[in-house]
Amino acid sequence: MLASLPRRSLPLARASLPLSRLSLAPPRPTAHPLRALCSSGTHDDFKPQVRAYAEGWEAVEAQIKRDIARDKVVLFMKGVPDRPMCGFSQTVCEVLKAEAVPFKGYNVLADPELRSGIKKFSSWPTIPQLFVNGEFVGGCDIVMEMYKSGELRALLKEAGVKE
Amino acid sequence: MGVVEAAVRAKLTAAFAPEHLEVINESSNHCVPKGSETHFKVVVVSHQFAGLPPLERHRQVNAVLADELEGSAGPPVHALSIVAKTPEQWAKSNAVSPSPPCMGRTATVNR
Repeated sequence: MLASLPRRSLPLARASLPLSRLSLAPPRPTAHPLRALCSSGTHDDFKPQVRAYAEGWEAVEAQIKRDIARDKVVLFMKGVPDRPMCGFSQTVCEVLKAEAVPFKGYNVLADPELRSGIKKFSSWPTIPQLFVNGEFVGGCDIVMEMYKSGELRALLKEAGVKE
Repeated sequence: MGVVEAAVRAKLTAAFAPEHLEVINESSNHCVPKGSETHFKVVVVSHQFAGLPPLERHRQVNAVLADELEGSAGPPVHALSIVAKTPEQWAKSNAVSPSPPCMGRTATVNR
């Protein structure tokens, strides 16, 4: 346990809080509940947020809607983009990296309510799940199929994230 | 053949009258006990998929196997990889990509 304490940031922190790398100050908690996972628990006030993406189905649904509207390419996955924890999630990350588009990953393993909530939200029983421009695209099989056929590139261009 | 695999096979046959059907238990590639039925790949070739986009085809397969995915009839199927094609598409290409390697518990422990 002690050995892990000096680690101030998880990979998600590197992806979402680049400023923290430039500053000697500890990463500041941000508005997004999952980003609170990046900090090392600086203040008790923030503790309830550390574990929860959102509490209860309605709050989870509202948070998902905000998240898929905030970023054009959003992946709900197991693990984080720098360290996927499932081969299917890794495959989709690799495809998005191959297309060289920025994307935001949310780790469903960090919160059971997100894990079940995203399945309900999309009426789709498995993870990963890719959203482009707020629209559900599919899981690993479909993303791979669309990548091979060029449809994914067309979709990303249409969304304005790829030239 | 395990009970889940048999159920998957029977349900897909009844729902899609497939010209070609493969139900592959990929569980042994994952960190689950021997004999598990947790990870499957299904290949369904059916005329019923004609005119439907991939998302809708996959939704139909998922719906037919909802009980297995939810685990309402036993241990849940954790991963389901789907190839859903029309006979014409299958005649053009019958290549089925292998599923990606497991990165679950084993990977965590090893790193």
